[in-house]
Parts: sequence; C-alpha cells; structure tokens
Amino acid sequence: MARQPVPDLLPGTLDLLILRTLQTDAMHGWAISERIQQISQDVLQIHQGSLYPALHRLEHRGWIEAEWAVSELGRRAKYYRLTPSGRRQLTVEADTWDRMVTAISRVMKLA
Amino acid sequence: MHLRALFLRLRALVAPCRVEQELDEELAFHVERDTQRHITNGLSDVDARARARSRFGSLLLAADRCRDVRGTAAVDNVARDVRYAFRTFRRAPLAALTIVGTVALGLGLVAAVFTFFNVFLFRVDAVYNPHELFAVERPASPDEELLRRFTRAEYEALRRETSVFTDAVAMMSGIETRVDGRPVSAVLVTGNFFHVLGAQAVRGRTFTPAENEPSAARRVVLSHEGWLRLLAGDPTGVGRRVSVNGVPCEVIGIMPEDFRGLSVGSPDYWAPLALAADLRPAIAGREGDLALSEVVGRLKPGISPEQATAGLTVWASAAASPDVSAGRPPLIELEPRRGVIADWFELAVLFSPIFFAFGLILMIGCSNVANLLLARGMTRQREIGIRLSLGASRRRIVRQRLTESLVLALAAAACGLLVSRLCLDGVMYAATVTMPGEVLDQSAIDLDVPAADWRVLLFLVAGALVATVFFGLVPALQATRVAPVRPMRGDVGSTGRPGRARNALIAVQVGASALLLICAAVFLRSAAAAAVADVGVRTSDTIRVPIADESRRAAIVGELTADPSVRALAAASGSGQASAFTEAMEDEGAAAPSRRSLPVAYQFVSSEYFELLDINVIRGRDFTNAERTAGTRVAVVSETAARRLWPNGEAIGQAVRIEERQTDAPQSTTLPSPAGAYTVVGVVRDVGGGALFRPFAFSGVYLPIDVQSPGTELFLRVRGDPELVRLALIESLLRIDPALDHEVGTLQMFARMPAYILQLVSWVTVGLGGLALALTVSGLFSVLSYLVEQRARDIGVRMALGATARSVAMLVLSQSFHPVGLGMLTGGGLAAGLATLLLSTPVGTELGNAVRVLDPVAYAVSLLVVVTACALATTIPALRAARIDPIETLRPD
Repeated sequence: MARQPVPDLLPGTLDLLILRTLQTDAMHGWAISERIQQISQDVLQIHQGSLYPALHRLEHRGWIEAEWAVSELGRRAKYYRLTPSGRRQLTVEADTWDRMVTAISRVMKLA
Repeated sequence: MHLRALFLRLRALVAPCRVEQELDEELAFHVERDTQRHITNGLSDVDARARARSRFGSLLLAADRCRDVRGTAAVDNVARDVRYAFRTFRRAPLAALTIVGTVALGLGLVAAVFTFFNVFLFRVDAVYNPHELFAVERPASPDEELLRRFTRAEYEALRRETSVFTDAVAMMSGIETRVDGRPVSAVLVTGNFFHVLGAQAVRGRTFTPAENEPSAARRVVLSHEGWLRLLAGDPTGVGRRVSVNGVPCEVIGIMPEDFRGLSVGSPDYWAPLALAADLRPAIAGREGDLALSEVVGRLKPGISPEQATAGLTVWASAAASPDVSAGRPPLIELEPRRGVIADWFELAVLFSPIFFAFGLILMIGCSNVANLLLARGMTRQREIGIRLSLGASRRRIVRQRLTESLVLALAAAACGLLVSRLCLDGVMYAATVTMPGEVLDQSAIDLDVPAADWRVLLFLVAGALVATVFFGLVPALQATRVAPVRPMRGDVGSTGRPGRARNALIAVQVGASALLLICAAVFLRSAAAAAVADVGVRTSDTIRVPIADESRRAAIVGELTADPSVRALAAASGSGQASAFTEAMEDEGAAAPSRRSLPVAYQFVSSEYFELLDINVIRGRDFTNAERTAGTRVAVVSETAARRLWPNGEAIGQAVRIEERQTDAPQSTTLPSPAGAYTVVGVVRDVGGGALFRPFAFSGVYLPIDVQSPGTELFLRVRGDPELVRLALIESLLRIDPALDHEVGTLQMFARMPAYILQLVSWVTVGLGGLALALTVSGLFSVLSYLVEQRARDIGVRMALGATARSVAMLVLSQSFHPVGLGMLTGGGLAAGLATLLLSTPVGTELGNAVRVLDPVAYAVSLLVVVTACALATTIPALRAARIDPIETLRPD
C-alpha cells in the first residue's frame, strides 16, 4: 500500500501547534511531538530538528517557560508550560488561524 | 517577557557550560524516550536506538539551531575567535611578541605626542560647568589680533552695569615674581575668582570677595605645582609665610592638582589683584587703571553667547570713552575659556607634522607586521584551506583573522601606554639633564610629564583599531583567497602569493624612513651650523641684567660696580624704529622731494657698550665717558646704516636728524625720546651674526645714554666662569631687590638657546629616523629571508638546472630593487615637496632661515644611508640563497 505523503507543516504553524498542545498540561519535547502526531492521526509529523529550536524560540519570547522535572522514565526532563502571555498569544494565533482556514476553505469551495 | 529573554541570554553568556549541558541533556532525553517507545513496541535495544536516532536526524544541527535562537552567536563567535587567537599565539609566541612589540612602539610614540596635544586642547580645567565661562575680548580693530585690554575700573563697571553674566572675574596673568628668591609665575585675580569658577582648595581655603581690599591683600593661594615647588609638598603648608618679591604673604590655601585656573599650565600661585601695588610699586595709587589680561564671565543660564555678545556690545558702546578712535563702536567678542587653547585649528596645524612624523613610525611598524602576517598567511594556508572546506565562510575566516589582529593590537595598545610613559619620562629627563641650568631656573617652567587620562586611553584603543585595519585587513583578505582543495593536498604557496602587497608595503616603509632620515639630517646640519654660528657680540664672559624695579637701579648698579668679579658695566636699551633725515639727502633733493627720510633702527647705549661687547669701531670714535645723554647730540652709526644714509660719502661729521615715527606705539615711556639732530662721531661694525640666528642683530644709529637711565638693561663683562658669576650675582642682587628680574643670564645662553632647541629637535628626529630605518631594515630582512626559505625548492631547481650562485643572489636582490627604489623616490620627493610647501608659507620662510629644509647634502647623505642599510638587509638573504644546496632541497621530505 502506497503511503500517503506526509504534508509539510505550513510555515508558522508549528508555534501555534506547540502553544495549543501545551494549553492544558506541562510537557517535555518528546511528548509534545507525540501528542501532535497522535491527535492529527499521524498526518502531522513534527521534524525533531525544528521542534527544539521552536521550543527555545518560544521560551525566549516568553510564551512558554521551562522547568526540569522527573519524567515517566525516572530521569530528569525539561517540561514546558504556557505562560500567561503565551496564553494570550495562543488566542491571537488561534483566531488568525481560524479566519485563515475559513477564508481558504471558502475559496476552495466557491471559487 | 523581555526580562525573561534577557535572563536566558545572560545565562547563556555567564554560564555557557550549564546551558550547553542542559541542551545536550534535553535532546538526549528525547532520543532516550523514543528508544523506550520502540522497545515497548517490540524492537531490540540496538534497533530501537538506531530507529530513534534516525528519526531525530542530526543532533548537532538541532543543537546548533537551538543555539542560534539564543541570539548570542555573535558573542560566542567572538569568544571562540579570541580563544582561537590565543591558541595561535601559544603556538607561535615569538611572532605574537614581535607583533605586539612593534605595534606597541608605534602606538606608544603617537600616544606620547597625543598626551601633549591632549593637555593643550582637550584637558578642560577642573572648574564648575566650564562651558559657561567666556572671556570678554575687545579687539583693537576688526581684523587685528591685538586686543584692547580692560582696566580694573572697566571691569568693575562691566560687573555692575551688565546682566549677561552671573558674575565675572578678572585676571592679570604671567606675573613674574620671586618667592623666597626663586623665580615663579603668578596670576593676580579678583577676590571672587575661585568662587565664580567653583573651585575648592584641598587644604586651607580660597579667596573671599572681601580679599579685594588692599588691607587683606597679602595672602596667596598655591597651585599644586606651586605647593610642590615652594613648600616641597609640605602638608602643613597652610599658614606659612612666604616672601613674594620681598613682601611677606601668608599661604591660605592649596588647590587640587587638576585645577589650573583656566589656563593650560597652572601658575605657581594666585594672589589678590590688590597685591599688584606691592609687587609693582609704580602702580600704587592708580589701581583703577590697571590693565587686566583677562575678564572672564560665567554666562547666566538661558543666555546664549550671541545674546551675551550683543548685550555687552551695547554696554561697551554706551560706556565708550572718548579715546575710542574714529567713532567705531567698540567690538566685543566672547571667547570660550575652558583652560585649553581656544584656537584649536592653529594648534592642530602645529601638531600635524609632529603627529605625522611619529605616525610614520607606527605605519612602518604596521607594515612590518602586515608583511609578517602575509608571510604567516602562506604557512597557514593549509589550516585555512581545511576550515574553508569544512564549510567555514570566507567572511567568518576573515573575521577570525581580524579578531586575532585586534587582540594583538589591543595588547599592543596596553604596552603602548607603557611605552609612551617611558618615552615621555625619558625625554623629559634627557631635556632636564641637557638643558642649560640657566634656562631651567630662569624660565620657571615645569618639566612635568603630563598625566595620561582617559582620553589618552581612548586614543590608544582607537589607534589599536586603526592599526588593526592597517596591518590586519590585507593579510586577512589575502590569506583567504585560496582554493580550498590545493593546500589540502599540500600544494602550498603558489596561489595567492601576496607579492604585490608585499612590495607596496616595502616601498611605503622605505619611503617613510627616507623622509624621516632626511628630516633628521636637515635638523642635525642646522643644529651644527647654529652651534658654531657667530652671534656678533662677545658672549664668552658677558652677562645681561635686566632691571625689573627701576627704584632699585642705583643700588644694583652700585653693587655691580663694587663687585670684584665684574670687570666692566654698560647699559643699552632695546632697539626702536625711527626716521632719519640727512643733509646728503636734502642736498640731493634737487630732483627728489627734499624731506625724504629713511627708516632706521636706533638704540640707546652707554659709552662702555661697544668695548664690552667687542663691537669694533671702524672709523672715528665711540662715545666718551662724558657723552652720557642724548643731549650731547652725538651718534655712532653701524656700517651698513652709514652706507645707506650716506651712499656716497664719509659718514663721520655728518649731521642726522632722528624723528620718531608717528605710526609706532611709543616703545617705552621710561626711555628718552630719540628725536633730535645728531652729529655722527664714529662708525662701528654691524652686529649681524651668523646666517641662522641673530638674537643681538642690530644695524642702525646708536645714541648715548647713562647706565643710571631707566628703561635700559645692564651688560657686564665678568672674571671667571660666567655661569658661576651669574649665580653669585643673583644671590647678591636678591638682597638688594627681592623682585629681581627672572632673566639675568649669560649672553652665551642667549646665543646658544636657538642652537639648543634645534639640537633637541634634531635628537628627536634622529631617534625617529633611526627607529624607522631599523624597523624597515628588519622588516626587509625578515621578508626576504622568509622568501628564500619558502622558495628554497624553487631555487634548488634553478641551481640544479645550471643557475650560478651569482644569478641566484641577483634574483633575490632584484626582489627588493623595485620597492626600495620606489620608496626612496617617494620619500625624497615627499620631503622636497613638503619643504617647498613649507617655504611658501610666511612662517616657513622665517623657519627656512634657521633650518635649511632643502639642504642637498642632508638629502644625499640620508638617501645614501637608506640605500646602504637596505643593501645590507638584502645581501644576507641573497647570500643565503646562493648557498642553497640543490640536492638538499630537492630531496623529498
């Protein structure tokens, strides 16, 4: 069976996905990528090489903060959590995203 | 939010190890977690790990991109470059030391010059808000430099009647006094001086406005220099009594070191203006007419200098006294007073040749370093090739090389500070030791080395940056101009050979040394000529004694006449300009207007003057002892003046009428008027002196005067060593006149002073020229030696193919022919060009009399020296090349 090609993430959406994933819980990097993959039913595969730079970038922007904690493996892992300003940013980005998706799907349907 | 980012960034900078470790741990955890998942899914340990690793991709790349996010890459890179640079230095410490030493020498010399420049131009006086202080100046006419001074009364009026200043002070500077017999300089000030300037004493107190009153006048405030000089830095000096020109004064305060009282160099002490009457008895009772050297005001806040000028001009017009000539409104100008030289342009022009000369050393040094780096660039081609092929960008490598150069240059700047201090101390010491003792104690000058402040440090750092660009940029660019593959194969040297850059550098060096050596030779020859120049009067045993206080003249003359070491005593005034009318002219005047006159110089001298100074009488006689006033109507004329006045006849017996020229300001009020008719009784030889300096030059009409007449200086012929006699005389005369003039000196010193200054200049230029030549020669030598070593194989092949030792030597020699020749031409041409340019300026023409800037011998000798030195520097590598054994070099390593 020929595998469906994995679509590239739209540029700029990785930040949004990370912020959304962290909305409820603090998670470490691996969990974030697993979670996204799971929920998107393997459609969205996060390239690990870009996940960590993105996490660090968001941390530098102050949208997420990191804390070391003991993981399920019993070993120390870096857990990321949304900050209040990250929460605000998530609302803004989610909003923009919604508008964009609506607009694009409209065009796709009606044009 | 930003605070957080700042914190993260700071942490990355401060604790890079921990941040790096955390990054590694984070990424490792991801792989570990993934592996675990695969194991749970049933893969073997090894497979699971491999799978996890391959899923992740390049850990290094991810880590690198995380680092980029930190935004500390630039700092990281610099830190890495600096570390790399230090590793390189450790590998080749000798090269690094050479570079630092060479550049430090150059930077240090330039910084030494800058230290002086700084004192004159940038070191603002330590007073409160110096930018508010302005000197009020009253130019005599719109285009003249001459200023009409304010009187004490005018200053008081300005303070009362104008409102542009919060307050104004007045000064009389350059007052020569003797404190306890020692010549020191003083500034007389108004009582509010320190208060308006906002300066506090370190010990004791400053003047209060009440100290303007004559009753309270006998107090002085010492400067730091004065404290050291007069009280030897005694911390309990406040309250001590000193004798200022014989007047006992109390020291009430000592000022801090960085307070100079709005001048470039600080005086030894400040005294109230009211003390003037004590120092100069002549002005007692006429204090209101006292001419002040300066009136300085502190502008009110919110008033611009332009508004203030306008306001003061209005005031000056209203107060204009009737003596203001021709109804022209008095002009007022405001000049900023900050304790530095205001006319910075003139100073910059004065300093530019000095900076240029010292800068040449820096440039030669930098050229040497550039050459060294070019050569090292060739040996480092393999390293650079590897870095390039590993993906380093060319820009990155250039930056790394420049960082390396900058680190060296900064180290050189640090050493340069040391060099500059050593140089300054050395030069000052040499000047103090070689300067005639007479000059030292007479001029009351301080030979202090100015301190290096932050501006000097800034200058050094800026200099290091410029030097980096100069010596580092070309080698850095040149070194990276390699194809990455070739040096990897070990094929070093044939690409990117920096031959042209190298030759240009050698040419620049040779040119600069030639220029400096020509300067040195010119000054040396001028100094030698000046040292043997005949000044036209007897100098071997003669002493000049100016009279500062006329009321003591009789006593001084009496003391000198009674002194057994004084053989003879004469008096002479300074020379003045007058118009001379002669019979001859009036006779000839049948055609010409009958009242034609010739300008002549005149001088009053006593009868002993001619014999005392060996001014020979050619015809007729000199003044008799009875002829002691102009009233005797006799005159003696110099040879040339006689020829001018009576072109076709005997001067003796002729009548001459002298009239004062109306245009000249009266030279001295104490001297009698030269006007009148005289009969010429004798002709004496001209006092000309050598072609160079003529401190005593005079040709004109001598009129008789008496040694007791005010306004004249005394001349003595003494027995024994004139310097010892001078010291003894000063001691005995100080008992008569505690305010004895500062300039009691031997004529020997007056005659030799210009030669001495020229000698100082010539020593400095010889030092610079020698240094330049040494640097150039060592640079040329090392470059050629290096080339011979590099091209040993090439030379070996040539020799194996039949080239003679001679032709090989010639090959090496010819390498330097072009650049050396070119350098000599430019150096010589530049020197001649600059000299011609200098001669075309008015100052230059005057200077040209003393310093023969186009002396062909100096040019020839110095160019010969350069050629010889360069020839020597090239011969050794050439001989070494000729001795290369082809077998040795061709044997594969």
